[in-house]
Amino acid sequence: MNGYKDIIKAAISDFGRNKIRTFLTSLGITIGVLAVVLLIALGLGIKNYIKQQFESLGANLITVLPGSGFGQGFGAGLINNTKFDEKDIKALEKINELKYVVPVFFKATSVEANNKKEFAYIRGVNEDFFKLRNVKTLVGKQFNSSDNQSKAKVAVLGYSIAEKLFESPENALEKTVRIEKQRFKVIGVSEKKGNSEEDLSIVVPFRSTYGAINPDKTFWGINLGVESEKDIQVAKKKVKDTLLKRYDEDKFTVSEQAEILSTINQIFNVLNIVLVAIGSISLIVGGVGIMNIMYASVTERIKEIGIRRAIGATEKDILVQFMAESVLLSAFGGIMGLLIAIGIVVIVRPFFPLSINLIAVIVAVGVSSFIGIFFGVFPARRAAKLSPIEAIRYE
Amino acid sequence: MIKLVNVCKSYQLGNEEVKAVCNINLEIKEKEFLSILGSSGSGKSTLMYLMGLLEKPTKGKIIIDGKDVSKLDDNELSHLRNRYIGFVFQSFNLINRYTVKENILLPIKYSKTKIEFDPEERADYLMKRFGIYERRNFFPNKISGGQQQRVAIARALITKPKLILADEPTGNLDSKTGEEILNLLKELNKDFGVTVVIVTHEREVAKKTKRQIFIKDGQIVKKYL
Repeated sequence: MNGYKDIIKAAISDFGRNKIRTFLTSLGITIGVLAVVLLIALGLGIKNYIKQQFESLGANLITVLPGSGFGQGFGAGLINNTKFDEKDIKALEKINELKYVVPVFFKATSVEANNKKEFAYIRGVNEDFFKLRNVKTLVGKQFNSSDNQSKAKVAVLGYSIAEKLFESPENALEKTVRIEKQRFKVIGVSEKKGNSEEDLSIVVPFRSTYGAINPDKTFWGINLGVESEKDIQVAKKKVKDTLLKRYDEDKFTVSEQAEILSTINQIFNVLNIVLVAIGSISLIVGGVGIMNIMYASVTERIKEIGIRRAIGATEKDILVQFMAESVLLSAFGGIMGLLIAIGIVVIVRPFFPLSINLIAVIVAVGVSSFIGIFFGVFPARRAAKLSPIEAIRYE
Repeated sequence: MIKLVNVCKSYQLGNEEVKAVCNINLEIKEKEFLSILGSSGSGKSTLMYLMGLLEKPTKGKIIIDGKDVSKLDDNELSHLRNRYIGFVFQSFNLINRYTVKENILLPIKYSKTKIEFDPEERADYLMKRFGIYERRNFFPNKISGGQQQRVAIARALITKPKLILADEPTGNLDSKTGEEILNLLKELNKDFGVTVVIVTHEREVAKKTKRQIFIKDGQIVKKYL
């Protein structure tokens, strides 16, 4: 035929004759693309959500934990019982690249206030914790270094624990909470972080935990902050060297946020591939549907194919005509699926972190067109290879 | 203009080779008006398809305007069918979801070379001349058999071919309408100077043409000059 415009016009006018069949055939592809795009959106959404949670901790964060290696760190820490103390803090503070050195005492326990008893995470840290971990107060203030030096019994509550104990953050100010029989005055409540561990935290000066809460004056981990990302590697090495003077290599782990992030990325990339593979099954089913209909379409138009051949259509003209129909069918289905998926993402987004990116769009349209070509080529070849005479005599 | 030299066409039917036509030697000159007469199964349709380049001979040569076309590929044959030959069939063979005018213009879509005339104008002219202009936006199944055959003839003529091959053009029509169609083909031969070959089993139809070729059991048996 002359131009692509003619071919596409002819295909669309054919679809017009058979609206229900066209709709049902492309519905298979619509559902397949919808499934793939939504699954990609889901995978990406969860990945971005977790990434954000980690990044809110600060990208320039270095963490020292007991045990050897991320992953087994927590368990190993419990077994070989490495604990850090103020000597380590002093040694680390001598490293120039480190802007913040924050000891972290951590204990999960119950707290009492206002005649209520609630579960909370106690964090004993210094004043730099708030800057390093980007924690802002909603009401009240944060403690400072002199509060720490003087072992002041003051506490900054996480949003959720403040709500649980005192109904509202404003109510919590100046009230007293009892942590393991010690009384702490609430001087501030932090902004909601959306992370249950942080929102259920009670942050206190680390020295104030010495005594009943933290009798051996040790820390579970150390958080370190550098000025800029490029210092991370040097700082990491110096931290390791410093700690090696006191501990064996397998007793502690120095890891940076970026490492954890890249691990998360790896996990989710695999997860995304699995999700797309599951969604692709429905795409293949849709493609088989198209192939089926195209075969039927060739059979019912055998005579027409013969006529076209007699008046001068080449094998290629016939091939192109049927290919165009199957590609248009599946591309139409693909675009419908994409539009529905975008609609769903826009509606669901306020409640759940779905996310669509350009790759999802390209995959959806590309794959559905490819399915049109792949599953269309067999019926189209059959049409093109028909003998003109037999086709014209076909009744 | 078209010459068949020792042409044979045989089909494979299981293990058996069936000869549809054999040793055909035939020359058709420009502006001739002739018929090929034969009973059913005589091989006359095969002969027409060979001349129409829809079949390739198993043996022999088909020469069009001095050029052997029996070795051409699908593209070249399709092009020749498109520009050189027009077909008219017994059962009209129009595409029912296209209008009369769209059917007539269909061969233009498959033309691979530039067309020197305005196809729309020519379609209008042919429809007016054949008395089907009023029916131009009708679908073929909404018009009479005679009108359908006129549409088919207009379609065959749209690319200004030199040769019209008509396979039992009156077979599906009553005798009066059949007569009209035959007269129309005769006119075309005279006015447009186009060669017309009518394939038929009816002696009455064959009598209308200037020259008859009689075919029996796949062979030309007699020539009326």
